[in-house]
Amino acid sequence: MRSILLIAKKDFKQVVTSPLFFVICAFCTIVWTIMYRVFLQQFASQSMMSMMQGSQAGQSLMNTVFMQHISVVNLVLIFTLPALMMRLISEEKKLHTYDLLLTSPVSSTDIAVGKFLAGFGIATVLLFVSFLYPAFTRILADFNWSTLFVLYFGIWLLTALYSAVGLFASSFTESALLSLFIGVVFNLLIWFAGQSGAGSDIQWVASVSNYISVGQHLVHFLKGMIKISSLVFFVSSTAFFVFLSQRVVESSRWR
Amino acid sequence: MADTSNIIEIRELTKNYGDRRAIDHLSFNVKKGEVVGFLGPNGAGKTTTMKIVTGFIAPTTGEVKIAGYDVFEDPYEVKRRIGYLPETPPVYGDMIVADYLDFVARLKGVESSRVPGLVARALEKTQLTDVRKRLIQNLSKGYRQRVGLAQAIVSDPEILILDEPTVGLDPRQVAEIRRLLQELRGSHTIVLSTHILSEVQATCDRAIIINGGRIVAEDTLTGLTNRLRGNSQIHIRVRRNASDLAQALERVSGVTEVEMSGMQIRVQGHLSDDLIEKISEAAVQQRAGLLEMTQPDAGLENIFIELTSQH
Ligand SMILES: Nc1ncnc2c1ncn2[C@@H]1O[C@H](COP(=O)(O)OP(=O)(O)OP(=O)(O)O)[C@@H](O)[C@H]1O
Ligand SMILES: [Mg+2]
Repeated sequence: MRSILLIAKKDFKQVVTSPLFFVICAFCTIVWTIMYRVFLQQFASQSMMSMMQGSQAGQSLMNTVFMQHISVVNLVLIFTLPALMMRLISEEKKLHTYDLLLTSPVSSTDIAVGKFLAGFGIATVLLFVSFLYPAFTRILADFNWSTLFVLYFGIWLLTALYSAVGLFASSFTESALLSLFIGVVFNLLIWFAGQSGAGSDIQWVASVSNYISVGQHLVHFLKGMIKISSLVFFVSSTAFFVFLSQRVVESSRWR
Repeated sequence: MADTSNIIEIRELTKNYGDRRAIDHLSFNVKKGEVVGFLGPNGAGKTTTMKIVTGFIAPTTGEVKIAGYDVFEDPYEVKRRIGYLPETPPVYGDMIVADYLDFVARLKGVESSRVPGLVARALEKTQLTDVRKRLIQNLSKGYRQRVGLAQAIVSDPEILILDEPTVGLDPRQVAEIRRLLQELRGSHTIVLSTHILSEVQATCDRAIIINGGRIVAEDTLTGLTNRLRGNSQIHIRVRRNASDLAQALERVSGVTEVEMSGMQIRVQGHLSDDLIEKISEAAVQQRAGLLEMTQPDAGLENIFIELTSQH
């Protein structure tokens, strides 16, 4: 446990103080700010037309502005999280600091979990930045905090999965760029997996597709529901990718 | 069980990279407190052996025991006891020296309360105290090498495994590292690899010479030098009467060959202090005007080249 936190702390600090992190933060802020303004304006002109009232306005804010914002956040994270995770393991290999980690009294699990926590921490920082947009909308319009929290909880679980994927992509190459590419491809696969089979006529294909469809799970969170099956899905798929990373780290000891 | 004073025991170690054999049935022991030089030409298998001993990679066959613990059955017990300086110093460029050493000490399992003291000690021993607040990436290669060394000693391990510790350093820093190794001997068991002979001569009790993944010689320094004694040389430079002296020297018992070129004479023979005395007496008797008498310091060099070329 001590080693896990030690590694997590070190990696978190290294990434958060890196120039890349500032560049990515700036990029995200710019994209989100521009898009959020557009969504708000659209919403404003629509509500003018339909003359919506108080509580209804809150719910429709959730369904329009917040949901659009979340899709943009998701899209940005798909590409930026692998960029932040790409150095976690591949850089250690390149710098030969991997030698130090593997000859220290720490297990492959300590290394994988520590690095995952660092990556998840970084993702959480970015997600927190994106959370500020809907949170400050509260100044303009009334909405239900708990629904927003539930929605963000869902997205937070999703970033955990993206972080685990980024870590895994970083684990089997010395090239940061290659790991970035692999990470993005995996994230896109995750996002679109299930999309294809969801409309299938065959019952089991449709339900499996539904289960592995990230979008379907998020729809529940958007409605303010936390479903056990969604929790299980996110936690287990995240754990699966951390486990794969652990296997890759462990296997390098046997080469 | 083997002798308990052997802190490192290596049995029949073999490592194949694909179908390429890097080390081949290597066996040797290191006693507690010993300083052993692991000597061999490029590609001999020094780094590979060290990587296995430190538990970084697994051997194909064979076993390694550190303080009685098997590297692959009790990796933590082993790794806690070893400070390792790999070929490339394992440093993070974006960390400052002191933070880096702090991280390594904790990674090695040192209790939090002991960390600051050990970091200060490692900084002081490697003379890095002045640069402790600097980013590692801004340090010169020699300083980075020293940070690597500081990293190996920071957890105060029983055993130090140093892969070419003085590579890339200027002569003054080489001397400093050697002084540091002298300071560490006794309290630590040290295995260092090198292909520089003077390094072994300067710091080690014993040399293990490997070539092509096999041990070709394993002896104490005096042992290795003695091997050479049977067949070594003396160079003499005189002022006059060189040919008379050469003739006289040929009659001295123990001399096997005399060669003369101008005022220089090369004497080959079974060198001992007696013989050296006889040679100088001869020079005085022949009134040759002895200017210089040297024993070329090719000792280990010769053995090394001889041992590592028969492959
Ligand atoms: N990862 C690897 N894959 C394939 N072959 C390797 C690998 N590492 C080392 N070798 C081979 O194993 C042999 C021993 O290499 P090793 O690095 O142990 O030599 P060394 O004695 O440390 O040499 P040097 O003095 O150059 O550092 C060499 O022939 C090398 O080519
Ligand atoms: Mg080497």
